[in-house]
Amino acid sequence: MKFVDEFRNAEIARALSTEISGLTDPNRQYKIMEVCGGHTHTIYRHGIKDLLPPQIELVHGPGCPVCVLPMGRVDDGIAVAERPEVIFTCFGDMMRVPGSKGNLLEIKAQGADIRMVYSPLDALRLARQNPDREVVFYAIGFETTAPSTALTLQRAKREGITNFSVFCNHVTIVPPVRALLDSPDLRLDGFIGPGHVSTVIGCRPYEFMPKDYGKPCVVAGFEPLDLLQSILMIMRQLAEGRCEVENQYRRIVPWEGNLQALRSMAEVFELRPYFEWRGLGFIAQSALKLSAAYAEFDAERRYAVPSVRVADPKACQCGEVLKGVLKPWECRVFGTACTPEQPLGTLMVSSEGACAAYYNFGRKSLEKMAVNE
Amino acid sequence: MRDDDLMFPGSCGLDHDGCGVCSDAGIPARVLDIQGDDALCEDASGNRARIAVELVAPVRPGDMLLVHGGVAIWRAERPSVKGEVDPSEVRR
Repeated sequence: MKFVDEFRNAEIARALSTEISGLTDPNRQYKIMEVCGGHTHTIYRHGIKDLLPPQIELVHGPGCPVCVLPMGRVDDGIAVAERPEVIFTCFGDMMRVPGSKGNLLEIKAQGADIRMVYSPLDALRLARQNPDREVVFYAIGFETTAPSTALTLQRAKREGITNFSVFCNHVTIVPPVRALLDSPDLRLDGFIGPGHVSTVIGCRPYEFMPKDYGKPCVVAGFEPLDLLQSILMIMRQLAEGRCEVENQYRRIVPWEGNLQALRSMAEVFELRPYFEWRGLGFIAQSALKLSAAYAEFDAERRYAVPSVRVADPKACQCGEVLKGVLKPWECRVFGTACTPEQPLGTLMVSSEGACAAYYNFGRKSLEKMAVNE
Repeated sequence: MRDDDLMFPGSCGLDHDGCGVCSDAGIPARVLDIQGDDALCEDASGNRARIAVELVAPVRPGDMLLVHGGVAIWRAERPSVKGEVDPSEVRR
């Protein structure tokens, strides 16, 4: 299939693998973090790890919006969803994220009117179709998704729709990466930058990585060859003593991003002073809320919510996995108390969570390793 | 191997494409018709949908878009470049 086959070509993959090995110092360990959950999925699904020399370790980053959502925010959403006048809408994976008293699917089974949507525009359509109900959209996602919410709110305002509001959980990618770089837990050699987020924000926001921290960053696409090439580009930078932001995903990502999308976001959102990230704690200016001009659409102003900080289950080690300190299979409940069917932690919920990706695509090889050992 | 060997214009995979969470996918689609602030678009498998295009305006029939959650977030530069996705060529 055109534009898929080219990026899964085994011969080119082998050539890239050989080039990467040639640039690898056998006496050095390399830690490269893929920030985006989509990349984590590709790495496990296509066995990228097996094409790399053992000195290169891929560390999974915080770029899965479901995975970094703290339990308290899920509880807040459930509190809104339980109101009888509300039609509560959200993306599919969000429905299985556990809160302290269950997930949205369970609340729906108990009678709440909760509906899965593909787009925030679908939620706005529901509001038009149900003028006697209050439609709430539970917004989640990084800068890829935030423009869709912004555009939806601009349309709602233009059309004078009053029975629509947004519970905003949009987050931004740069502050958590900076927090990781400031963390003493982790020594990283380079970053694979998120592809579709960068379609919106461009490549400039990553310039702090080489400038302030001396770490290269390569923005990458989501096909196996995209990832292999981006790893090669990082290894070339390290071998040549260079340190800069490069764009492997040039066929999609413009260096300056999508200025129209950024303008929409600037009109509709403003930065929160701080926001809690699962596993990473509170990070300053790392999330978005509705601006004063769109306050009338802010579900957090419209409805009283508990706003209580809820600790993760004691057995859950999502935080350590999110920070790259633990590998998914090193978590004490991985594959036992926590599975994609019955997730205990968010990393097992989303198909992009490191644990779910490893469980679905990598577990057999681990078992094989254990047998061989 | 040249780096450009991997730099085909076009888009990422069509079957499972990057981020699946929160509809964080990037689906390439061709504009067939303009309908106000939306455009009727067709993806590589022939699926058609009404897509919001304000964020990549102006849009015209034939343009190639990257669609995320019902909203276009990227438009290919015009004129069409070598290797641009043609839905007639990419059906499974």
